[in-house]
Amino acid sequence: MFLETMPDTSAYMIAGFGISFAVMGIYVLSMYLRNTNLKRDAEMLKSLQAENEKSKAKPKPNKKK
Amino acid sequence: MQSKPIALTILDIISIIVLGVAAYLSLFFAPTEAVMGQVQRVFYFHVGTAWVGLLGFILAAAAGIAYLVTKNMAWDRFEVAAVEVSTMFFFITIVLGSIWARPAWNTWWTWDPRLTTAAVTELIYIAYFMLRQGIDDPEKRARFGAVYTLLGGLSAPITFMVIRLFRTIHPVVIGSASAEAQGGFDMTSDMKVAFFFALFAFTVIFIDLMWNRIRLGQLEESVEQLKLNVAI
Amino acid sequence: MKTSSPSLLKATLAIVRKDLAAEFRSFEMISAMLVFSLLVIIIFNFALELDIKTRQSVTAGVLWTTFAFAGTLGLNRSMSVEKDRGCMDGLLLAPVDRSAIYFGKAISNLTFMLVVEAIILPVYSMLYNVNLFRIDLVGVILLGSIGYTAVGTLLSTMSAQTRTREILLPILLFPVAIPVLLAAVKASGGLLTGAEFSEILTPLNILIVYDVIFIAVAFMVFDFVVEE
Repeated sequence: MFLETMPDTSAYMIAGFGISFAVMGIYVLSMYLRNTNLKRDAEMLKSLQAENEKSKAKPKPNKKK
Repeated sequence: MQSKPIALTILDIISIIVLGVAAYLSLFFAPTEAVMGQVQRVFYFHVGTAWVGLLGFILAAAAGIAYLVTKNMAWDRFEVAAVEVSTMFFFITIVLGSIWARPAWNTWWTWDPRLTTAAVTELIYIAYFMLRQGIDDPEKRARFGAVYTLLGGLSAPITFMVIRLFRTIHPVVIGSASAEAQGGFDMTSDMKVAFFFALFAFTVIFIDLMWNRIRLGQLEESVEQLKLNVAI
Repeated sequence: MKTSSPSLLKATLAIVRKDLAAEFRSFEMISAMLVFSLLVIIIFNFALELDIKTRQSVTAGVLWTTFAFAGTLGLNRSMSVEKDRGCMDGLLLAPVDRSAIYFGKAISNLTFMLVVEAIILPVYSMLYNVNLFRIDLVGVILLGSIGYTAVGTLLSTMSAQTRTREILLPILLFPVAIPVLLAAVKASGGLLTGAEFSEILTPLNILIVYDVIFIAVAFMVFDFVVEE
């Protein structure tokens, strides 16, 4: 070959792929966490709402959450 | 909130598979490039993520216009999803470009039009999220967000043009005329397979992430609605 | 209906007159912008060691950075004043076209910026012995300032309505205004270093294109950022 020896750039390549997968992984994880948090919030709010409706029908001091 | 549609679950699985295949193709199937060596393999992911980042950017601006015309909140959720996913992909693009530039041009960063425009776009996105964070009223948040994506969508191409102008007048010492340097190697047919498959794979992943993010937006909205109901 | 809703031009001019009258009574904003600009130039002097050689090449950059910072100061102020005193609601209730409010605010913002620039240029010329009194340079500065305030007025209207307000404006404005600032630096730098006209023509064209596009877009979307 007329080229000088090919530079060894494997470390850069590994870093590149590592970072790509890490960033995508973190993003998917963040979406998953947001999703579970929101679902929990939704459940809690729904039960609160149901409680409110009950207490409206039969006035009672509101319970703290 | 309705449960996850089967089509989306299937798409999730397909996305993981195509990501794996794309990684295999670029890591093992494609031949090692002679001048730059192994690091050239990040090229496939670099271009793939850049393509979907750009796609998200255009979709966001289009969704912004659609929201302003129709005032339908669905477009706002679409816009947020596009911006968020595109932010993530552009970030990968920039990091990969930088990792490639280090051994190839002996510098982490060049003020190349594409690289710089991607970075400026990233800043526009960050500003976009900060803008949204500062507004409580969802309807106003959507309106302002739409206006800002529209402005960003117009200004980024002009930024690209201006920086290219700078570069042609001031010669770059390192990695001169990066356009040539980037396409500077001839792709063999195996490389082309990896290249086009990466484009395809990232498009699928993009659609999948967008879909998931839109559903997350719907959930966010229903929780916000529930909060209002409880407060009353 | 002609008597109840004045023409766009009349309404715009009325808003400009109101802003200028308020400002020229106290000079609050212009003096703040001016002092700030002078401070920035002094800091640049020591930060960049503006000796004769570097002066040639960095003057355009220093000038435009100063103008951009001073510009955000003015833009922030002029909108938050409207918001704080509840004047914005009054303006919105007035039976005028909303775009009159945009053009009125944009023109008065532009005027403040130009006044500051008109003072800064001779001071800079004097301090650094660079001749900035050139009609072509004034033209470039005018074009750049028009583009900057066209976007800045729209974005400051938005940022004034958010929780973070003053902090947000430069973050919103700078990434979008990069093309106009870069093209302006390029064009003024070319003029100051005596480049050929063909080299200046392209950034000049970009400046004009930017101005036209962003005035048109801001005019079209302004309704969306003021409706309640």
